[in-house]
This record gives sequence, C-alpha cells and structure tokens, in this order.
Amino acid sequence: MATLHLRNIEKTYESGPQVIKGINLDVADGEFMVFVGPSGCGKSTLLRMIAGLEDITGGDLLIDGKRANDVQPSERGIAMVFQSYALYPHMSVGENMGFALKLAGKPKAEVDVAVGRAAEILQITHLLDRKPKALSGGQRQRVAIGRAIVRKPKVFLFDEPLSNLDAALRVQMRIELSKLHEELGTTMIYVTHDQVEAMTLGTRIAVFNHGVIEQVGRPLDLYQEPANQFVGGFLGSPKMNFIQCAVTERRADSIALKVGCASGFELPRSVAADAGSALTLGVRPEHLELTRAGDGIAARVDLLEHLGDSTIVYAAIDGADQIVTIKTQGGRTALRAGEAIGLRPQAGACHLFRPDGRAIAAQA
Amino acid sequence: MAAVRKRVSPSRWLAYGIVALGGVIMLAPFWFMFVFATHTNTEILSVPPPLWFGSAFLDNVRLLIEKLPFFWRNLGLSFFIAFSVTVLNLFFCSLAGYAFAMYHFKFRESLFAVIMATMMLPAFIFMIPTVLIMSAIGWMNEAKALIVPGACGAFGIFMMRQFIGTAIPKELVEAARIDGCSEFGIFWRIVLPLVTPALGSLGLITFIGAWNNFAGPLVIMRDMDMFTVPLALRALQGTGQVPWGAISAGSAIAVLPLMVLFVIASRRLIEGLTSGAVKG
Ligand SMILES: Nc1ncnc2c1ncn2[C@@H]1O[C@H](COP(=O)(O)OP(=O)(O)O)[C@@H](O)[C@H]1O
Ligand SMILES: [Mg+2]
Repeated sequence: MATLHLRNIEKTYESGPQVIKGINLDVADGEFMVFVGPSGCGKSTLLRMIAGLEDITGGDLLIDGKRANDVQPSERGIAMVFQSYALYPHMSVGENMGFALKLAGKPKAEVDVAVGRAAEILQITHLLDRKPKALSGGQRQRVAIGRAIVRKPKVFLFDEPLSNLDAALRVQMRIELSKLHEELGTTMIYVTHDQVEAMTLGTRIAVFNHGVIEQVGRPLDLYQEPANQFVGGFLGSPKMNFIQCAVTERRADSIALKVGCASGFELPRSVAADAGSALTLGVRPEHLELTRAGDGIAARVDLLEHLGDSTIVYAAIDGADQIVTIKTQGGRTALRAGEAIGLRPQAGACHLFRPDGRAIAAQA
Repeated sequence: MAAVRKRVSPSRWLAYGIVALGGVIMLAPFWFMFVFATHTNTEILSVPPPLWFGSAFLDNVRLLIEKLPFFWRNLGLSFFIAFSVTVLNLFFCSLAGYAFAMYHFKFRESLFAVIMATMMLPAFIFMIPTVLIMSAIGWMNEAKALIVPGACGAFGIFMMRQFIGTAIPKELVEAARIDGCSEFGIFWRIVLPLVTPALGSLGLITFIGAWNNFAGPLVIMRDMDMFTVPLALRALQGTGQVPWGAISAGSAIAVLPLMVLFVIASRRLIEGLTSGAVKG
C-alpha cells in the first residue's frame, strides 16, 4: 500500500531535449492511475523514472512520503511489467516468478508458496515448469504479471503491457487487470497510448503531451469536461470534431456563432468571449444531430460508414473547408452521399476552445 | 513425381573443379602430415614420396621423445596455457563486451575505438615491449607471461559486445535490476547463460589461437622444458639432419586435440557466428 507524489519532476537526457518538463502528480493509495498520451510524449520515461531505471534530473519523487530519487530500483517496493514481458528465457515460468524472492534470500518453501498463489490467481499453475519460449503471447503476459505479483510490491508499474496482444486477448486481459486491481487493491500506474484502455481501466487518467500533463481526472470527467482541445481530441473515438467559428453576438445568457461563411447557430450559454473573436467549437460525433437541410449548420454528406449498430457520417460543412464526423444510432439510414443536410450540436455537449487551445468554461 | 534429372552445365563443372582443387590444396598438408608421421626419413625423402600410411609411427614417436625429452611436458604446458587463456578470455571479454553493450558511460565510444585499433596492429609490434616488460618484472621463461597478457583480447570484446547488444534486450537487464539482482549478478545469472553460443565460438577461436601461438613463446621461453609444442617442434629443425618423420608425428599429436575440439564445437561455432538473437 503506498502513495506516490511527484514534485516538479524533470528529465533531460544528456545531449538531448528536455523530455519531461515539470510533472506534479499525486497518486493515492490503491489508485489505478493511467498515463495516456501519444507515442513519444514521455510516458514511459516518467514510469521508468518512478521505477528507478532512469535518473531523475530535476524535482522530487516521494514514495510513501519518503524521497526516493536515489533509492535503488529493487528497494523502492515497485514491480514493473514490460511491454516485451522481459521474461528470463533460460528460466522456467516458476523460476521467473520466484527470482526476486530467491535473490532476497527467502527459503525455497516460502518462494514456492508465493509463486503457487500468484500462479493460481492468474490460472497459470499448469505452466510453471515450462520455459517462456513454449508459451503463447497471452500466457507470457500472465507470467510477467505473476512475476510482479509474487514480489508483493507497494506499487505496480505497467508499460503498455497489452500492446503486443491481439485485439480479442487485449480486451480479455483488460478485464482481468481490472479484476486484479480490485482483488489486490494495490496502487497501480499504467502507461498506454490507447485511450480505450485508459478510459476503461483508470480510476484516474493523466493525459500527457510533449512531456507535460495536460489534465488529470476521472475518466468521465475528462471526457465530459476536457480542459483543453488536446484532451478533448485525444479521448473518445471517433475523435471530437473541431469546427472553426466566430462569435457574432454575445448576449446575457447565450452567444451566436457563425460557422463557415453561411450558417450560424446559437449556443444557449453565457460565455466569456467577445463578439468578433475566433473560437473552436468542439463537439463529439455522437453529440451532433442530423436535421433537415436548412436547419442548423448547412452541410453535405461526403461518406457513410456502416458499423451495424451505428453509422458514421462524414459531412462537409458548406462554406468551410472542413469535414465533420457524426455518429448516429441505427444501422440503416436513408442518407446518400452528396445529400444536403443540417447539423445541430447538442447544446449541453458543446465545448468552446480559445485559439491557444484552452477550454472556455461556461459561466453559471 | 519422378525425379527430374538436371543437366549440369559446363560452367558449373568448372566451378566444381575449382572448388575441388582448392580443397585438395588445403587438405594436402594435413594428409601428408599424417602419412609422413608413419614413415621413416628415407621413405619420406624418396621420389615419389609415400602417399599412403606406413608402419614407422612408433619409431617416429620414439625418435621424437629422444630428441625432445620434454615433449609430453611441452604438450601439457601448451594445454595449460591455451586452456587458461581461453577461460580468462571468455570471462573478461564477455564482461567488457557487456559493459560496452549495456552501460552508458563517458568516452564509451572512444574507448571502444581505441581497443578496436589494437586489432589493426601486427603481432610483431608487441614482441619487443613484451620481452622488456616481462624481464623487468621477472616473468621471463614462465607460463604466466603468456597467460596474463593474453587474458583479454580486442576481438573477443568486439564479438561479445555485438552478440550481447543484439541477443539481450535492455528490458531483461532492467527486469533483473528491479528483481534485486546486483550488477555483477545480472551479468552472471542473466547475461552469461544467454550468450553461451557466442562463448562457444569465442572459446574455440581463442583456444586455437593460443595453442598455435608461436611468436609469444618464442620470445618468452628460454628453456626446453618450458617450450610449448610449436616451439619444441621447431627446435627439431635446428641441427643436423631434419627428422621429418618425427616432426610429422609431433605435429599430428599436437593437431589432434584441436580437431577433436572442433568436431565437438563446430555446430556451436557456426551458430554463434551467424545468429545474434536468442529469441525468448
Ligand atoms: N535514452 C534516450 N536518450 C535520448 N532521448 C530519449 C531516450 N529515451 C527516450 N528518449 C526520448 O524521449 C521521448 C519520450 O520517450 P518515451 O518516454 O519512450 O515516450 P512514450 O513512452 O510516451 O512513447 C522521445 O522523444 C524519445 O525520443
Ligand atoms: Mg512508451
């Protein structure tokens, strides 16, 4: 059981740019914290700094309140599961899992009990005598997790542990990881570039971009109230639409927006934005309603994708060089490519972003 | 389907011929060494020379021992030196190769370049300095004067760095570090077991090199009883009539351990030289 505090953590590689640019983050005891962000944004680097595999070049890392910057990896009370599993090829599954305890000088009987219990949790008891090369990808993944469990760490660190698995297995392991967290109740930090994994696994999510955290919060909070355009665009699939618009008029309890050169619509919200200013309207595909032509934002159907339970409509907005995505329920639609339609954003689900990307909070 | 007889084209026959000729040229000395080892000097020097085995092998060995009273000791010393050099090379070269492959430290690449540069120097350059150093520290005429300088070589370091760099994923080392392995423990318990193919190749190459080493013992060893086998056999050519039969018998005895070793290790050798990856 452990808490984790990151204070202004920085990382600059020798002969390289600054990769981590001042991270502040508190991870509560028993929390499942997900680091998510595009590839190359520094998630793995930060995780490896927490593990002690990379030097921390600035700031403080506190594990259970104690500064751990200079503590050896093996003494931080962490266990890490690598993307490549990193199982020792010359040891059997059982030896792999018991290696840390054996090194710590635990008697063989005790090691065997711990390995047996972890193997039971992960249902790999029948594999204990095999070598890693005789296992499938999913089984190797379990062994890697088992090796972490055996150590009874205070914090589990996962670096994209599912990205080498096929899609079906990934979903299954995702569910099992959730259950494992419930069962063990241990603090976990999980790195992924997959926003679905982030949304489904995390107690809280930290969205990374270029070495900084853009926003931290519970998955649904981030989904519904992104602090900026990056977070809005990163979470959710299909991606949030960003529509360039201009404020034409500001009233007490609403503003009028103009999209493209033709259409305008009204947002029944009081927003701190002056008339004439350019903003970005963010609206998710499932929050755009299709209406008759002449109603709402004028657009033309460009392409249809039928997913069975729903249909993705790509539409070009008249007068603006922009394609928006609309997700409609139902597999069948009478729409045809080229058809003129109208789009109406659901008022409660619209986000407005300033040119610098920050979200404009609706004023109560 | 019936086997299709392929006609072998003339150009291919030519290629076969060239390869066969090359093979004969390479194997002939071996053949004659073994054949001459079983003939007396008069038979060897007759025209044409004998092409098949004779019956004078034991006589030749007797003559060899007579001329080289320390021959068995020379053989043992050769083995001791070659074995020690090999074991030390395996240890130190893999240790250094591991450091170069896995650790980041200042001047790593320049240091590596300097070590590699020593491979370019011809062995003769080392002869005089070696003698000067060994006489200064009083190691002349002793086995350790051949073992210690040969304990680690640039080629071995290069080979082990390449192999470790490709065969051992960085994450494996990191996993062991998190599991609580000491740095030397990582090398000993994780890295070494995974590079045995390369160790086999390097061991064989090193052993053969040390076994055949002539220039080193030539400048270091003064007394007959401290000669290695190549040196002892060379000493037979010194005075009077050269006992070709005895020399051939001695050479055959000296070559035999290498051949046995090679047959045992050749599969490993080829594996180690060609494949870098231990897939896990
Ligand atoms: N050893 C290193 N030296 C220099 N730069 C590095 C090193 N390791 C990673 N980087 C850089 O750090 C950045 C973040 O990498 P990483 O943490 O692996 O990203 P992520 O896991 O989010 O995909 C990348 O731009 C990468 O090029
Ligand atoms: Mg990564």
